[in-house]
Amino acid sequence: MPERVDRDGTPAYRVLGVEVTRREAAFLVLGVVFLFVIPDIASLSDSLQLSVIHQGLLFGFAAVGLNLLLRHTKLTSFGHAAFFGTGAYATAVLARYAGVQSVGLLLLGAIAAATVMAAIIGVLSLRHTGLYFALLTLAFGQLLYAIALGQSALGGSDGLPVRPGPANQPLLFGTAFSPDVYQILTYYLTVVVILIGLFVMYRITQSPFRNALDAIGQERTRARFIGLPVRRYVWAAFVISGIYGGVAGGLYAVVRQYVRPEGTLFFLRSGDILFMAILGGFRTLVGPLIGGVVLVFLQDVGQDVTQYYEFLTGVVLLILVYGFPRGIVGSLRSGGIVNARLSELRREPSVLSAWGRSAAQSIERKVTEALTSLRIILFGVD
Amino acid sequence: MNWSQLTTFTLEFGKEEGELVFIVGPNGAGKTTFINLLTGFLSPDEGSIVLDGDDITGMSANGRVDAGIARSFQVVKVFEEMTVRENLRTVVLTEQGKTWSLFSMADGHEEVEAQVNELLEKFRLGDAADTVAEELPHGDRKLLDVAMSFGLDPDYLLLDEPTSGVSTREKEYVIETIVEVGRAEGVTTVTIEHDMDIVTEYADRVVALHQGAVHGVGPPTMLETDDELRRLLLGVGEDE
Repeated sequence: MPERVDRDGTPAYRVLGVEVTRREAAFLVLGVVFLFVIPDIASLSDSLQLSVIHQGLLFGFAAVGLNLLLRHTKLTSFGHAAFFGTGAYATAVLARYAGVQSVGLLLLGAIAAATVMAAIIGVLSLRHTGLYFALLTLAFGQLLYAIALGQSALGGSDGLPVRPGPANQPLLFGTAFSPDVYQILTYYLTVVVILIGLFVMYRITQSPFRNALDAIGQERTRARFIGLPVRRYVWAAFVISGIYGGVAGGLYAVVRQYVRPEGTLFFLRSGDILFMAILGGFRTLVGPLIGGVVLVFLQDVGQDVTQYYEFLTGVVLLILVYGFPRGIVGSLRSGGIVNARLSELRREPSVLSAWGRSAAQSIERKVTEALTSLRIILFGVD
Repeated sequence: MNWSQLTTFTLEFGKEEGELVFIVGPNGAGKTTFINLLTGFLSPDEGSIVLDGDDITGMSANGRVDAGIARSFQVVKVFEEMTVRENLRTVVLTEQGKTWSLFSMADGHEEVEAQVNELLEKFRLGDAADTVAEELPHGDRKLLDVAMSFGLDPDYLLLDEPTSGVSTREKEYVIETIVEVGRAEGVTTVTIEHDMDIVTEYADRVVALHQGAVHGVGPPTMLETDDELRRLLLGVGEDE
C-alpha cells in the first residue's frame, strides 16, 4: 500500500483508525478549536450570530448524512428534510405530550423516530433509482409536511413548542439553565455530537461497507453479480443517512425550543440540505457541514440586505456549478483548483494578466453565443 | 433476439474439473441469453435451471453468485472510479461476507489483501494495481473483469466474449490467462467466443447454439466435420 505522506514526506499519523497527514491534522485541530470558540467570537461581533451558525451546523450535519447516499451510492434524495423534521417533531411531541424533559432522552426519541421513518421510506422509495427515487423521496417528504400542517395535535402551521416541565425548558444534566447559558451549552452539545458523527462517518467511509456502496453506485448491475444484495445495502445506507438527519432535527428542536413545518419538513429544506452537500463539496467528509454553515449564513445576511435573498442563493449556485464544481472543501483541498491556481501565481505572478485575458475572452465568447442564440430564438435562422 | 423463444434444453457441465466449454453460434443464436438465464439476469418463462441437483430457477442473481456461479459481461462492467486493487478488494470482501462491517478498515483484512495480491499476480495486473479502472487499456479492463469473476471463487464461470474488442495481439494473452487460471483452480469456464481459432485451440467441449436451441455438443473437431455448423458459423457454402 502506498503510504500517505505530507509534502515534506512525514508519514501520516493513525489514531483510532483515522489517518491524517500533519497538514490535515493541523487543519483538523484548527477546525475543532474554531468550533469551540465560535460563541466567544459571536459575542464580539454583531454580524455573526451564534444562532445562525448553530443552525447552519445542524442542517450541515443532516447534509453529512445525506452525503453517504450522494457520494457513494450516487442516489440523490430530495426528501431529506423528512428525517430532519421527524427528529424535530418527535422531540416536540415527547416534550409536549409525554413530558420528557431530559435533552438526552429527547434526542434518543428523535433518533428512534427518524430510524423508523427512514426504514419505512427507504423500503418504499428504494425500489427505484435515479429520477424516480428522487421524486419518491420528495413525495414522502411532502406527505409528512402535509400531515404536520394538517394535524392539530402537531400544531398545524403554528407548530409545537419544546418547553417541557415546570422550567418550561428541556433539562441539560438535570438542570434548567438561564436562556443565554442554555444556548451556549446546547451549542457545545451540538459540537460534540457533530465531532462524534463525523468520526463515525469517517470510519464508515473507510470500511468494507463503503466498498459495497461504491460498487453499487458505480456499476449497479456488476454489484449484483459479485453477489451483493444491492437493495439491502442501499437501504442500510439510507437509514444511516436518515439517522443523521434525525439527530440534527432533534437538536434543532431542543435548541430552537419550537418546531414549525416550514422550518423543518418543507421541501425547500430538503433542497437546502442537498445544496449544502454540493456547495461544501460532496466528495469530502466535512464539506457538507461547511456548506451548511455557509448557506445558512448567506441566507441570513441576504435577508438583511434584500428581500430577494433567494436570488443570492441562485447566484451562489451558478458560481459553484460553473466555477467550482467540487464545492468549497473540494476546491481548497491539495490538488483542488484553488491550490493549483495559488501555486501557479506564486511561481509566476504574471499569470494573473493571462487569466484576466482568458476570462475576458471567455465572457466575450459566451456573450456572443448568447446573443446569437437570442437572435435565432427571436428572428429564426437566416 | 426474442428470448422468449429460447427453447429449453439440457446441458451438463462438469464441476471442479477445470473444463473449458466454449459456446459458439451465429448472431442471435441465444448465446448471451443462455448466460443471462443461468446467472439470473433474466428469468425463464418456462423450464428450470438446476445447479448440482438444486433448482435455482427462482434464485436471485446475488444468491446464484453465493451458490457458485460467476459471470463477466461482454461490455466490461467494472467499478470505474476504483483502482484495479480496489475493484478486486471489493469483490473479495464481498465473497468473504465482510461488506457488512461498518467499522473495520477496508484495507485492513490480511486474508483479503493476500487474495487480492494473488489475483493481481495471476492475472498479471500487478503493474496496473493502482491505476483507476477507467484509465486502463482495453485488454487490461477485460482481464480485470475476468479477474473479478475469479475473485468470487466460483465453481462455474460464465464469460461473455472475454476477447471481444481486444486487439489480435492481446487476444492470445487474455485467453491464455483465463485458461491457465481456470485449469489451475479447477473452475469450469463456459465461454462465448467468436474466434474459431481460439475455440479450436483451447476448447475441451464445444456447444453450438442456433436459433435458441442446441445445434450440437461435441469436441472442437466438430467445427471441422459438421458442415451444417460450418455453414451457420462462417457462411461457408451459403451461395451454392
